[in-house]
Amino acid sequence: MNALITYFFRFFLFLILQIFIFNQLELGFGIYFLICPLFVMLLPFEINVYLMLSIAFLMGGIIDVFSNTYGLHASALLFFAYLRPFVFKLFSPREGYDSLKKPSVKDQGHLWFFSTFGLLLIIYLLYFFILEAFSLEGLFLILQKTILSFILTYLLSLFLHIFLIIRPKKI
Amino acid sequence: MQTFIAFFKRFSIFFFFVLLQILALPTYLQYSSFPKSQYLTSASSISGNMYSWKAKLTGYFSLEENNKLLKVENAMLRKKISSDLYQVNRNTYKIVDTSFEQQYEYIPACIINSTVTKRNNYFTLDCGSLQGVVQGMGVFSPNGIIGIVHNTSSHYSVVKSLLTQNINIDVEIEGAGLFGFLKWNGKSPLKGTITGVSNDAKIKKGARVVTRETLGLFPRGLLVGYVESFSVLEGKPLWDITIKFNENYSRVKDVYVIKNLLLPERKILEQKVPNTPDKPSL
Repeated sequence: MNALITYFFRFFLFLILQIFIFNQLELGFGIYFLICPLFVMLLPFEINVYLMLSIAFLMGGIIDVFSNTYGLHASALLFFAYLRPFVFKLFSPREGYDSLKKPSVKDQGHLWFFSTFGLLLIIYLLYFFILEAFSLEGLFLILQKTILSFILTYLLSLFLHIFLIIRPKKI
Repeated sequence: MQTFIAFFKRFSIFFFFVLLQILALPTYLQYSSFPKSQYLTSASSISGNMYSWKAKLTGYFSLEENNKLLKVENAMLRKKISSDLYQVNRNTYKIVDTSFEQQYEYIPACIINSTVTKRNNYFTLDCGSLQGVVQGMGVFSPNGIIGIVHNTSSHYSVVKSLLTQNINIDVEIEGAGLFGFLKWNGKSPLKGTITGVSNDAKIKKGARVVTRETLGLFPRGLLVGYVESFSVLEGKPLWDITIKFNENYSRVKDVYVIKNLLLPERKILEQKVPNTPDKPSL
């Protein structure tokens, strides 16, 4: 129950941060800060896949309403959520995942987090930018956007992940 | 039947994924050319209201600069007021001027949300159909043109800015008298491109690029930017022209929506032109 409330508030926190702060930060060079994949990434291991897809779709849809993209974020985030189980399977430890643990840096380690989240994020960003341009005409521009956004979004996600979500517990 | 159910069960997640994608993708692909509803955009009342709170909050940071810009414009406009002019001929009387008729009216508006680095950038304005904004009107700021109204609700409207893929505004290169379409390639919010100018004509660097009146969206001669560079488009007898926008789209706050009072009359007239000119009518 407690965890449910945490995820509920985290959902809105991520949306507010994304819409009112990170969508407004425009560094140029095609750099986007997309933090919502982190929310989908941090959902628990044993979550129902249909529920996860619906959450991702809803979250992307809300961002779309605010940024006049009308389905772009929804489609991309849905894609991210759909790929998550496959990538998790790819990098699963030999004995499988411990259902008590979470897909986070703290429980799984930096190497696991970098390989799973990194792979998912780069596929997600590539899909997002190709869909946004809707042509392979500016392929170099798409790759530039993907790589730069990947580096900055990954670092930002790691920062948010460590400082906002894994807080040191007060005794 | 058993195998069918098994098949469906096996791929049910994939089907669910495809179903949601079918919901998302067609709307996305349609939106930029055919806006259907205002409810799921930033013109809707919930997101519009939230953005206007945000604009109120962040508006203070650029207040000084915007004031300066408006002052400059006011000073320029003041020069044109008749009471500020020295009257040379003292024994004139008031003339009811019939040689001019008001063609354009301007609705002042503030941009409450904007992006400049996305592939398609839309600006949200704080005025809507209650103020008389209608889809398809042009929008400009003192320094340049902004875009075309894409969608309106009663209190807000969304503008498709010059920084979108298929904006295609008719422009003219002043001096050379050349016409072309303004486009944006998504690279830099400071620069646009013009296509459709044939390369047998000469262009000067730094020439002013201004609007044309073809669609009746913008008055003739509003400044868009300056020609920065041009090269021959490969395999076509056309120039590939890069222009530098005069307006800094990441800074712009105060804009005007253009209402063309003569547009309805013009549309009625243009509708009378037969659509199939190849059939001779007797």
